[in-house]
Amino acid sequence: MNNYFTSLLEETENPLITEAVDQGYIPVGYTCSYVPDVLLTLGDIFPVRLRAPGITGTEMADTYLSSVICSFSRSILEYFMDGRYDFLQGTVCTAGCDHLRRLYDNLEYLAKPAFNYILDVPHRISENALDWFVKELHTFIEALSRQYGVSVDDDILLNAIEAHNAFHGTLRSIGNLRLQDNPPLTGAQFHRLLLASLVTPRHLFMKELETYRQSLNEMKGARNIRARLMLVGCQLDDPEYIATIESQGGLVVADRFCTGSLPGLEDIEITGDPVTSIARHYLGRTNCPRMMEDFNKRFNYIVDQAKRYRVDGVIIEAVKFCDIWGVEMTPMVSALRKASIPVLRLEREYRHSGEGQLRTRVQAFLESMGR
Amino acid sequence: MASLRFSVIDYYILTKHRIINWLNIVKMVLRHGPYDIIRELRRYPWILEFLKVNHLMTRLTRGRSGPYRKAVAAVITDVTRGVIELLEGIFHHSDMLVIHEDMVPPEILRAMGLYPWMPELLGILLPMLEPGAMEQYIDCAENEGVPPDICSLPKATMGLSLMDVIPRGLAIVTSNLPCDGGMSSYILMEQRMGLPTFRLDVPFHFKEDRAADYFARELRSMIEWLEARTPGTMDWQKLREICDERNRMVEREQELWEMIRIRPAPMAAEAVYMSHLWSFNVFPGTASGTRLFERISELAMENLEKGAQVVPDEKYRALLWNPPTLHTIDLFNWAEKEYGVSCIMDSMSFNRLPVIDTSTEESMLKGLARTIMEGPMARHTRGPAENYFDDMYYISKTFNIDMIWVAGHVGCKNTQALSGMLREKCREWGMPLLIIDYDLSDPRIEPREGIFSQVAHFMENIMKAEKLT
Repeated sequence: MNNYFTSLLEETENPLITEAVDQGYIPVGYTCSYVPDVLLTLGDIFPVRLRAPGITGTEMADTYLSSVICSFSRSILEYFMDGRYDFLQGTVCTAGCDHLRRLYDNLEYLAKPAFNYILDVPHRISENALDWFVKELHTFIEALSRQYGVSVDDDILLNAIEAHNAFHGTLRSIGNLRLQDNPPLTGAQFHRLLLASLVTPRHLFMKELETYRQSLNEMKGARNIRARLMLVGCQLDDPEYIATIESQGGLVVADRFCTGSLPGLEDIEITGDPVTSIARHYLGRTNCPRMMEDFNKRFNYIVDQAKRYRVDGVIIEAVKFCDIWGVEMTPMVSALRKASIPVLRLEREYRHSGEGQLRTRVQAFLESMGR
Repeated sequence: MASLRFSVIDYYILTKHRIINWLNIVKMVLRHGPYDIIRELRRYPWILEFLKVNHLMTRLTRGRSGPYRKAVAAVITDVTRGVIELLEGIFHHSDMLVIHEDMVPPEILRAMGLYPWMPELLGILLPMLEPGAMEQYIDCAENEGVPPDICSLPKATMGLSLMDVIPRGLAIVTSNLPCDGGMSSYILMEQRMGLPTFRLDVPFHFKEDRAADYFARELRSMIEWLEARTPGTMDWQKLREICDERNRMVEREQELWEMIRIRPAPMAAEAVYMSHLWSFNVFPGTASGTRLFERISELAMENLEKGAQVVPDEKYRALLWNPPTLHTIDLFNWAEKEYGVSCIMDSMSFNRLPVIDTSTEESMLKGLARTIMEGPMARHTRGPAENYFDDMYYISKTFNIDMIWVAGHVGCKNTQALSGMLREKCREWGMPLLIIDYDLSDPRIEPREGIFSQVAHFMENIMKAEKLT
C-alpha cells in the first residue's frame, strides 16, 4: 500500500487525477494551508496541493523570481513554466508571505492560468480580521461560482464541511496511531499518506484510505525506537526527508508543518453560518509565523503536542530564504531550550538534497540527547 | 571673478550650516549636562556616529553650488535638528517613549502626547554617516541565528535590540509592513525587550473601499491599546493640527515636484528624496517639515527663474527605485559630475497621497489609513506587482525620465522576485534599466567602488555616455 501512495506522489498529475478529470471533475491547484481547501471541494472541483516532485533545478524560475526567493516558490513556478501543471483548471494562492505573493504575480504574468486567484488573509486574529476574511471568502465563493458554475448555499457548504471533517477524521484516526508506544507506521509512511490525500480527488482516494486503515490493524508496531521526534516547520512535501531523519533510528511521531497533520487535520467547527465557521477555522488553525501576534500560541502548541506525543526532541526545519520561519526559529529555539526540550534547527532546500549532512546532524542530535 | 564669488558663497553656505549643526549639538549637551551625556553615550554608543554629520554634509555638498548646495545643506541641518529632538525624547521623556516600526507613522503618537522612537532610523541614518556602522549589529543578529539572507535593515535592528542599545520605551507599535523580514523582526524584539506590543494589519487588497474602514479600525484599536498601557491620551484637536500641517507639507512638496518635471531640473537628488524620507516618515505634520519644503521650493524657484540647472550639464534624468544606497549615499553626487546624471524622483518619495480630510475623527483615521497603506514601501512590497510597475511607468512619463536605476538590495526579496518581469517591462517601454547589486546596510556585500563600477559599466555600455571628468 505504501508503494501505491508513493506512486501517487511521483508526478504532478497522478493516475487518480487523470481518472477524475476524465470523469469531468475540475482540478484546482493551491499553494498554502490558508487556502480553505474545503471550498475547493464544492461542485465538481477538487483541490490539488501544489508541489514539485522530483524537481532537479529551477533555472527558468530563477530568471524571474531570482535565486533569493524560497526554493518552494521557485520550484512551483518552474513546473508551471515547464507545463507540468497544464492539467489544472485554476490556481488559488494566498498573500501568505512575500514569496507566495510574488509567485502569484509571476504566475499571472508568465503562466496566465484561466483562473488565478489570490486570497487576502489577515496577519492577526481579531474580530476585525475575521470580518475581513469572511468577506474575502464570500468574494472567493462568488468567483468560484462564476468560473466553475458551482451553486452554493448554506446547506451545500454545511455538507462540504461535513464531508471534509469525515475525510480528515479518517486521516486523523491513522495519525493518532502514532500516539502508541510502538506505532504501526513510520513518520515517512504517514507523511506519504497525508501528501497523497492532498494531491488526489477525495472521492477516489477515500476507498484506498479505508483499506489502508484496516490493514494497519494487522501491522506490527515499530521496535527499538531510538527517540520519538516532532518535526516542526514550513512547507515540506517530500517523505524522503523524513525517511532520512528516521534512518538514524528516530521516529517522527508528530508533524507540525504546513503539510503535516498538526494542526492541519482538525475539524471545522460549525459556529454560526458556514462561511464564518470556515473563516474562523482557517484563520486560527494554521498557526504559521506569518501570524505576527501568535508566537506564544505557536510555542505552547509545540510544547503541548510534544507532551501529548511523548517526544524526546524537536526538529525545526525551514526552507532557506523563508523570512518568517528564518526569524521565528531564533526565539523559538531559545524558548524550547528554556522549556528543557532538546531542539535541532535545520535549514534546507525544498528539493531533498544533502542527505549525508542531514544524517550527520540528526545522528549528532540523537547522541546529544543521550539516545 | 564670478566663479571666485560662487566659491566664496559656497564656502560660506557650508560653514554656516556646519556651525549651526555644532551649535545644536553643543546646546543638547549643555541642556542634558556632560555627566548625563557620558552616561547616555555608554548606553547608546551609536550616538557618537552622529558627530560625523558635518562630514556627511561635506560629502553631499561637494561640487554642488548655489541654491542646490543650500538645499542639500538645509536638509542635513534639518535632519540633525530632528535627531537631537528625538534624542531628547529618549533622555528626558522615557516615561512617554513608544517604539514604533518605520512604517507606523508617528502622527498618532504625537497627538497622544507620546514621544516616538523608530529603531530602524539607526539602520537608515548611521550607514550614511559611517558606511560600516551597522556591521556589528548585523553580525550580532546573525550570530544569534537570524539568517544572513534577511534584509539587513531589520537584521541590524534586531542586532541593536540583542545588544540592548535600543531605548526601552513603554510599548512597541508595529505592523505587517513593509515585508516579512521587517514584520518578523518584531517577534524577536518583543521577546527580547519584553515590551507590550501592538501590531497593525495592512490588508493586501488595500485599494478596495472596505480597506480604509478596516485599517481605520485597526488604528482606533491601537489608540485604545496605547491609552490603556501608556500615559498618552488621544487629543483629536492636536491630531487635526498635525494632519493639517501634513497637508501643507504635501502641497509644498507638490510645488517642488511640479518644478522638477522641467528639463533641466532646478532641484534634484538628496534635496528631493532625503527631505521626503525625513520629513514624511520621521516628522510628518510638523512646522519644521513644512518650512523645509518651502525653503527647497524657494531655492528650486530661484534656479528656475535664473534658468540655472542643478547639474551643470544635465544629460540624463534617473528614477531611483528602492531606498537609496545608504552606505554610498553620495552616489548621485558622483554620477552628476561623472556623467551628468540627475536623480529626479525615487520610489520612496513618490506617492499619490490624498490630503487628509480633517473634518471628523473618522475621516482623519481613514486619511491616515490611506497614507500608510499607500505609502511607498507598503504599496510596492505588500501590494500586487501592478502597483510597482504602474508607478514606475507613471513616474517615468510624468518626470521625463531617461533611465531607471534600481538599488537592487539583495535582501529585498519582494523586489528581487520582480526582477525578471521588470527587465521585460522596461524592454517593452524602451526604458534603459540598471539594477545595482548591493546590500542596503552592509557595505561588505558590495563596497562603494563596486557600486560606482556597476554604474560606470551601465552608463558607458548601455547609455553610451562619455565621462565628463
